[in-house]
Amino acid sequence: MVGGATTKELMVDGKRLDGRALDELRPVKITASVLNNADGSAYIEWGKNKVIAGVFGPRPCHPKRMMDPYRAIIKSRYRLAPFSTSDHGRAGPNRRSIELSKVIREAFESRVLLEQFPQTMIELTVEVLEADGGTRCASLVAASVALADAGIPMKDLVSAVAVGKINDQIALDLTGVEDNYGDSDIPFALAGRNKELMLFQMDGVLTKEQINQALDMGTKACEKVHQLQVEALKRVYESKKQEVEAKED
Amino acid sequence: MAGKLVVPGETISEGKKPGLHAYSEEGKLRSTVVGLADEKGSRVIALKGKYMPQPGDWVIGVVQSVKYAGNDVDIKCPYPGFILSKMTKTEFALGDVVAAQVEKIDEAKRIDLKTPKRLLGGEILEVSSVKVPRIIGKRNSMLDTIMKGSGSEILVGRNGRIWLKGGNIALAVRAILMVEREAHTSGLTDRVAEFMKKESGDTKG
Amino acid sequence: MAVLDVLDQIKRGYIRDMVKQNKRIDNRAFDEYRKVEVEQGMITSAEGSARARIGKSEVLVGVKIGVGSPFPDRPSEGILMTNAEFLPLASSTFESGPPREDSIELARVVDRGIRSANAVDIASLSLGEDEEGRPKVWITFLDIYVIDHDGNLQDAAGLAAMSAILNTQLPKYEDGQIVREEKTGPLPSKATALSCTFGKIADKIILDPCYAEEVSLDSKLTIATVKDHICACQKSGGGGLSRAELDYCMDLALKKGEELRGKLKA
Repeated sequence: MVGGATTKELMVDGKRLDGRALDELRPVKITASVLNNADGSAYIEWGKNKVIAGVFGPRPCHPKRMMDPYRAIIKSRYRLAPFSTSDHGRAGPNRRSIELSKVIREAFESRVLLEQFPQTMIELTVEVLEADGGTRCASLVAASVALADAGIPMKDLVSAVAVGKINDQIALDLTGVEDNYGDSDIPFALAGRNKELMLFQMDGVLTKEQINQALDMGTKACEKVHQLQVEALKRVYESKKQEVEAKED
Repeated sequence: MAGKLVVPGETISEGKKPGLHAYSEEGKLRSTVVGLADEKGSRVIALKGKYMPQPGDWVIGVVQSVKYAGNDVDIKCPYPGFILSKMTKTEFALGDVVAAQVEKIDEAKRIDLKTPKRLLGGEILEVSSVKVPRIIGKRNSMLDTIMKGSGSEILVGRNGRIWLKGGNIALAVRAILMVEREAHTSGLTDRVAEFMKKESGDTKG
Repeated sequence: MAVLDVLDQIKRGYIRDMVKQNKRIDNRAFDEYRKVEVEQGMITSAEGSARARIGKSEVLVGVKIGVGSPFPDRPSEGILMTNAEFLPLASSTFESGPPREDSIELARVVDRGIRSANAVDIASLSLGEDEEGRPKVWITFLDIYVIDHDGNLQDAAGLAAMSAILNTQLPKYEDGQIVREEKTGPLPSKATALSCTFGKIADKIILDPCYAEEVSLDSKLTIATVKDHICACQKSGGGGLSRAELDYCMDLALKKGEELRGKLKA
């Protein structure tokens, strides 16, 4: 086997260590509008992952040299809390968090209608409070809800999930342990409307068929996640709808 | 008014021309924001988001730069408003509070303001711009109630900035915040009137 | 930004007027806290955690336990490291980057109360010597995460920190390795230190200032208490405080401290 470091048995009696089937998603819970100061926000619990996303903007672009005269720019930050992992983590950005900030930003650049807000910036921060595999996907899903919650116009919501390979089998939504000891991991994100890939990364060694099998499995899960995003937004905005209607009395 | 609650990407109708906050793709009209799709199914009323000026809006701003040609004014939106020097009788200074009307907004998002007047003294309260219609009320009913109860002069900018002067400003502010908090409830004008009556009695006694 | 400063300046007027009329912007009494809520144990990757909400202010504290070398002058004492981070999503004015003086002061005042009261009993956190005869001790990392800012972050941070300490379980230490899956008992703590913060506006003292009040303050005073003692104080802001005002605040801090302790459970 190439690239794998399987020193741990990840399947017991046809089930995974946390009792899930291969194509089973961990429990996902999303709440929109959880912050008071941010223009938009969302909190997600995805298995043990806990991520909070906040959005400010559009607002005047700082520094000015980053300004685009024809569209808004997105500034994104992905950060891991020092207590989110097994050992105490060091504060400040590292190479991993800088890369993830970039791919998260790019997942939204063609979804958000940036040309409606030239010369401005939209600031997106995701704070991972607890990490257990798949934090970039959880971050992206929360960020998408936070952007919508900020009232920022976009074509659709972006949903994400990771699919990997453990014990030579394709498995959905790897936990931290599965990711560490598994053979491959493919985090990807889909645009809600036309299912285009907005984020796509992969490590490990897979055949083309395996990748397609993984993407098929993940696409179904993304649809489920998308539904949860829509529900989270509608729960919050049902009450705001009343404000518009109360005006009429 | 029954609107359907929609999220970005959700289909609102078929075969229509897109209005505000909607886009058309493969014959389907979809929403770009979380909002209420109107009955005709061509546009969406956004339930949140930054204030974007519309011609005719009265806004309250703070002068943030003084140039030869005119002044940039912060109007609590992603872009500054611009007041041409020739429109002002006196020169504005940095930090001046002004009320002005939006004349036009062009494609480069340059916002021209007209009929500016400097607001001397007074205080400013900021609220979410989506709550402004509620604070003004139907035919000014809410605002009248608050002005009468507090004796304050109040100017409500469509951009969510409210200027208050004279009278019991502290009371007026608390009443406005009450409206902001309870915007989703009905019969609010009566409750605000009651609150003003009770509280103004309190401070006199 | 200049515009924000101008607006804050203008807004101070009506906050002062209200206080002069014995009113507050959210209709509270002068000696009343906003709604206080504390939850524990939400972060399972941390050895201890808690979240405190005071009104719309929200602070999360995670406690991580590590092993390291003690300070040379205190070879038998454990180490407590307190750090505070104002998350960029908590306020439009927070930037990520090196800590600013506000977040450093916040962390240091929390740390001072906890240290003075032995709320983390560092004296009992020695692990003896390793194979080569070098002393080893437990390191307690207390990370304060400010998630939402509506004033009085100090008391929210203090409450979350104390609650997280009480929630912390020490892992097992075996053959020079931490075994995080196994717990050996609670982090030793001798007392429960909590702070109460007061603001002074127009010669009146208000408890638990919210953000709008905070930017209007002449001065601010934090008093941390442990049962019937005071264990840390910090006065900030440019205005002065009279001895009578200090007396009033100390009495109220002792009383309100007890009420806040009622919100905690070990």
